[in-house]
Amino acid sequence: MVSRFPHRVGDDVDEPVAEACRRKNQDHWRRRRLLQRQLHDGAALRISALTLRLGLLEHRAAPDGHAVQGCIGELQDELHAVLEELRDVAAKIYPPLLDEAGLGPALREVAAALQAPVTVVASEERFGPAAEGAAYFATMQCLAAQPAEAQSMKVVVRREDDTLMLSVSGIAACHAELMDEARPLGGTVEVITESPPGASTVIARIPCE
Amino acid sequence: MRVALAEDGALFREGLLMLLRAAGHQVVCSAADGDELVALLTTEPADVAILDIRMPPEPDGGLITAERLRAAHPDLGLLFLSHYAESHYLMRILEIGTESIGYRLKEKVGSVEVLTDTLNRIGNGEIVIEPVLAKRLVERTRGDKKDVVAALSDREQEVLRLMAEGRSNNGIAGQLYITPKAVEKHIANIFVKLGLHIDTAAHHRRVLAVLTYLRSQRDQG
Repeated sequence: MVSRFPHRVGDDVDEPVAEACRRKNQDHWRRRRLLQRQLHDGAALRISALTLRLGLLEHRAAPDGHAVQGCIGELQDELHAVLEELRDVAAKIYPPLLDEAGLGPALREVAAALQAPVTVVASEERFGPAAEGAAYFATMQCLAAQPAEAQSMKVVVRREDDTLMLSVSGIAACHAELMDEARPLGGTVEVITESPPGASTVIARIPCE
Repeated sequence: MRVALAEDGALFREGLLMLLRAAGHQVVCSAADGDELVALLTTEPADVAILDIRMPPEPDGGLITAERLRAAHPDLGLLFLSHYAESHYLMRILEIGTESIGYRLKEKVGSVEVLTDTLNRIGNGEIVIEPVLAKRLVERTRGDKKDVVAALSDREQEVLRLMAEGRSNNGIAGQLYITPKAVEKHIANIFVKLGLHIDTAAHHRRVLAVLTYLRSQRDQG
């Protein structure tokens, strides 16, 4: 496997070290995905089951237990709030929608949450947890950094052999955001156009499964 | 009501079983995955099947199971339960069917009243959409649509949110303590303001029109 570390100058890159670094970063993404699944299958499911048991308790307290019923309703609302916080944490570790449905649906959700005018062009193809995780968080940071008045941005995700090609255009360049996520996996980033301001295209290529 | 249930989390499945029985429903079968449920339902009639979206067969067995069930038993209502309320899954669910179908968060069906109301609405042919998700769809409109939605009166925005939950005119009237006639008037005003021209009497078409309106811009960018 050819290492592509654009920040290194010259040809003295120690190949085994670069490869080890890349593998370590891939493991890092797999662990993040695993942690997210553990949250879902463990804590979250237990809390959801608890809301059902509280509902049963509420039912048994009827008909003269109005005070108890009110309390139980409040506890259930509180558990919903706890689960919302867990969802928030899970999304920051590894978004469940990215895990389950891939970059297209996950990035469209990001655009909707930011209420930003973004077109996402992506097939249903999958690229493995590392490349998808890196592409997702890079794009999210890039879009979040754009000014509020940004117009018609476009994100394209495509496979080029064993590489995930991510292109973000119509933006004020966010080279650094893409670089930070792509580089540890042996990826490269290039800025295609830089003018006029706010109309840049940045392309990242990340080795994938 | 005769209910069939498929959920791979034993703790949640047992809890739901107990709550369904307490609510007076008959649980005709309960399974840990979709394939098992499909097999059980070939001999056991049911009114509504409750399906976990994320269960075997992986990755989203609930959706695959639902497609098979809808083909085999067109009158069987379908209620999807999930840990996540995602518009991506809502659209996939509405591709499976637009009548007698529902999508709710797992922790939001934890009372006899809510569970029974959800099942009854699905049994009556309605679309039931998690209020948390409906609210998010209404709040996250963009561009021109944001301005249009913002220009609705407070009461009209409430009605729009309840329409996005799939509620019928009577359901909306009951929630807002107003008459069904008043609801009809609000809905007519909303449709004029949104520029939607559709037969508002056909319930599922109306819900779809509202959801499509709220969603459309995110796919066009």
